[in-house]
Amino acid sequence: MALTDTLTRWRYRLVPDHLVGEVLSKRWIDNAIPLLILLAVVCAFSFAMPDFFGPSSISDLTRQWGEFSLLVLALMIVMVAGGIDLSIGSTFALGNIVALALIAVAGWPMWAVVLGTLACGAAVGLVNGLLVGYLRLRAFLTTLVTLIIVRAVVDMLLLNYSVAIASTFIDSDSWYYPGEGSVFGVPFSVVLTIILAIIIHLVFSRSRIGWQVLATGGSRRSAHNVGIPVRRVVCATYVVSGVLAALSGLLFASRLGGAGADTGVGLEIMALTAAVLGGNSLGGGRGSAAKAIIGSITAMIMVNGLIRMGVPAGANSLMLGLVLFTAVAIDVRWIKNLHKVVSKVYVSPAYASLPKPPGTDSYSPYAVNDKLAPVTLIGLGEIDGPEDIILDDDDNIYTGNRTGDVIRFFAPDYKQHEVYAHVGGRPLGLAFDKNGDLLVCIGGMGLYRVTKDREIEKLTDETNRSWLSVIDDSRLRLADDLDVALDGRVFFSEATVRYEMHEWPVDGLESRGNGRIICYDPSSKSTHTVLRNLKFPNGICMAHDGQSFFFAETWACTVSRYWFDGPKKGTVETVIPDLPGYPDNINRASDGTFWLALVGIRTPSLDLALKMPGFRRRMARRIAPDEWLYPNINTGCIVRFDATGTILDVMWDRGGENHPMITSMREHKGYLYIGGILNNRIGKLKLKSADKSWTGLASYWGQS
Amino acid sequence: MIGAIMNAIDNFFGRGESAVTVPPLDGALKPNRILDDTDKRYPLEDVDCLAESGRKLFATSGRTVCVLGPKDRWTSLCKVDADITCIAPIGKEGLGIALASGDIVVHGGAEDGKRFRAAPDVNCITAMIEKDGVLYLANGSASNASEDWQRDLLQRNASGSIWRIGLSNGRSELLTDGLAWPAGIAIDEKGLVVSESWKHRLIRLDPFEPKHTETLYHDLPAYPGRLSASPKGWWLAAFAPRSQLVEFVLREPGYCARMLEDIPKDYWVSPKLQSGRSFYEPLQGGGVKHLGQLKPWAPTMSAGLCVELDGNFQPVSGLHSRADGVTHGITSVVELNGTVYAASRGHGVVVRVPVEPAGSRS
Repeated sequence: MALTDTLTRWRYRLVPDHLVGEVLSKRWIDNAIPLLILLAVVCAFSFAMPDFFGPSSISDLTRQWGEFSLLVLALMIVMVAGGIDLSIGSTFALGNIVALALIAVAGWPMWAVVLGTLACGAAVGLVNGLLVGYLRLRAFLTTLVTLIIVRAVVDMLLLNYSVAIASTFIDSDSWYYPGEGSVFGVPFSVVLTIILAIIIHLVFSRSRIGWQVLATGGSRRSAHNVGIPVRRVVCATYVVSGVLAALSGLLFASRLGGAGADTGVGLEIMALTAAVLGGNSLGGGRGSAAKAIIGSITAMIMVNGLIRMGVPAGANSLMLGLVLFTAVAIDVRWIKNLHKVVSKVYVSPAYASLPKPPGTDSYSPYAVNDKLAPVTLIGLGEIDGPEDIILDDDDNIYTGNRTGDVIRFFAPDYKQHEVYAHVGGRPLGLAFDKNGDLLVCIGGMGLYRVTKDREIEKLTDETNRSWLSVIDDSRLRLADDLDVALDGRVFFSEATVRYEMHEWPVDGLESRGNGRIICYDPSSKSTHTVLRNLKFPNGICMAHDGQSFFFAETWACTVSRYWFDGPKKGTVETVIPDLPGYPDNINRASDGTFWLALVGIRTPSLDLALKMPGFRRRMARRIAPDEWLYPNINTGCIVRFDATGTILDVMWDRGGENHPMITSMREHKGYLYIGGILNNRIGKLKLKSADKSWTGLASYWGQS
Repeated sequence: MIGAIMNAIDNFFGRGESAVTVPPLDGALKPNRILDDTDKRYPLEDVDCLAESGRKLFATSGRTVCVLGPKDRWTSLCKVDADITCIAPIGKEGLGIALASGDIVVHGGAEDGKRFRAAPDVNCITAMIEKDGVLYLANGSASNASEDWQRDLLQRNASGSIWRIGLSNGRSELLTDGLAWPAGIAIDEKGLVVSESWKHRLIRLDPFEPKHTETLYHDLPAYPGRLSASPKGWWLAAFAPRSQLVEFVLREPGYCARMLEDIPKDYWVSPKLQSGRSFYEPLQGGGVKHLGQLKPWAPTMSAGLCVELDGNFQPVSGLHSRADGVTHGITSVVELNGTVYAASRGHGVVVRVPVEPAGSRS
């Protein structure tokens, strides 16, 4: 078995399974398949025609591409908002003829020609936008109708002006520049397209209107419900689409200088193919400028390549149709199945071999007893999930609950309680700072402070992003427990960066080092990560030397010590390497030692499963979470240890009557107060040999 | 070859044989708390098998056979020299006692004091029934003792057999083998009915053509055990519930083998007669106590279930003790004088439940 275990350990150490799920859950993964198709197309054509990507061919291709990708961008913008614009081909032709007519027949100056042409496109877009956005007509039919009408207008203009256009020589350098000019050797149309693509990308990814467009396309109803002016947004996308199509027509006019009946015929289908090939979803909500660019390059290469290979015109269209068909099918399947794949592969258990646990029989320091039996109960049935407990100088108890409140029980009898502050999230670890303000770690939110005037202030909800992390680990997902150093720095644990608060069992199933310890410095108001790759770091407690703290790693079943100052600065030492259970919070005891809560006890069946990651992975996929093998958190205990890691005392609730699981305990004036995150009571236990005047506050900040 | 490939594909996707499904407790088996709610409880340590003979109730406890006296007290009837695996009435007055050694001793009646044995290697007798001078035996496994039923399940064995012994001449005959832990046996006019535990089903076999079997009730949500006759049909004791986790573990030979080797039996992931005794036992997600309570619907390795069957061995209703109950591991049910007695081996108690009209419980 040892050999298999070694092999398994190396297998799971060397292959980072968890990255697959992380990569697949990124938004940019939608670009992966379009990019692969593009590379395949480039390889195929450069193999079939060695000179296809030669300099002369490239320069010709790129000019066409500039115009074409403007159309694709136009279509993409409409598609992202959930619509479709079939009239772009006609608008392109309209832009072409209008530009030619204005420069050649009307003799307008160049700037006026540009404005006039764009206004024409905008007008067509506005008609579409009004009909589709405000009157709620079907986008497909409406733009099909405008396609026909605009085409008819173009035909009439051709009838009237084509002779005049053809017979006029345009004597204007500025007219020819857009079509034939270059910027540092790059065709003008390409530069223009790239600039526009960047602008569109920035708008979509970083501006309010861009987000509104994406939201509208993603779910029109929800967008409306959150107050987005859905109709105006949809209308605007058609206007922008019309303008871009007309601009493309202008570039075409400037390059070729001629107008014919077949200008722009079928372009909408080619642009649609390109847009879908790039991965822009027909259903709306998913799309980007990058996808439009990738798709347009792919489509351009294919169409031109096929023509150059001498494929007859009909077959060419057939090929394009087939490609569109395939792309749509892939698009639908991808969107439908991506989240399923992610949910299957995201959970990736690691190999975790825990040391042999010490027993709990009568010879063991952890021998089972009933020392917690004489506990008296506070707030039975009135408090839902007191994860951590703290007491102030007036002996009032503060604790968080499941519904996001900090509750205060009033001394001396603790019969009355009030909502001290509603902070939201899931309040977990608590600590008082030097001023007597209450610091709270809130699961799902971050590190907060509740001042004595009950004002709630956010201290931090983000830290520095790690360079090599695929998922964005800058946000705090599960701030768990904290403690304050003498200089006011707050050290707190974040249990996991891969899962949300309520998904902690999944993190346990993985048993990878997904957690970290973070430091918040109030003097500079800065936050930085101190320790990474910890297995569910949980309790944190300052040692008495003022230079180090103890921290518990729940899934590793260890307690370690970290020095943040002094000669041993930066080192970590394991203090207790082999706990029989899963450690939670650590707090100071009155005699200079430390209390440690064990939330549950290790079971042999789970310890074995930890050495078999494949077993756990299949378990996560095959059976419901309620049926999973869990750490046994139905029985916990309280342990007292000293700075060397010696176990001094253990207190059990043998039958699990009052405290089946224990997540924290706090000593105060000769009593121990006990809490559990899934419990509905706080226990109060008289300690026999404790200092009756000792309080945590005085121990940290001196007599106040 | 194709079968192996299909199995590998099924295993990858979790389909077919690899699909971990357990039928829900619904319909006739809708859960209730009847076994826990009754106040007629007669504690008897390690009670296993019940039998009715001469309108008296007998129960086994270790090496002792007890009888329920007039004041609802257990009195010792006889003691034998090995652990008792099951008992069954023989004739009008007698009681057959099967021992863990494989011997069957008759106590009382016409055959008093006789000893029978099916074969030298038959020593896991889980159930017996006598009719017309012929004793039918169910031998749970060829390789494991009856106390080792969890090991037999986790090894995915199917080595159980059915035997017939003529009481007059002591001649024994193998009827059929290759059964997955036959744990209950009944006789009706069409033949023998056997509960095949590890395949969660009741099958009928013809004593004259024993290789021909017919499935009567398949895919039970629990492991079926002993059967007994009732005026309206039959009672089936289901000694442990099936669970998704166990079904999954059964499909993980690597984990199973290491668990059997390295971990003490009490802490296995396997069905049990009683669970939650130690914090070293496995815990499942739904079994975590919330607000100080264990939910009755929590996934559990042990529960109490007696199934009332009609004359065609179809379920009519059930008597339950759920995850948070105190009457787990029902190994035997007997109906006597209009009341049902169920032996909860898990909690060491026999409970008495009045019989109600069929189907009225749900």
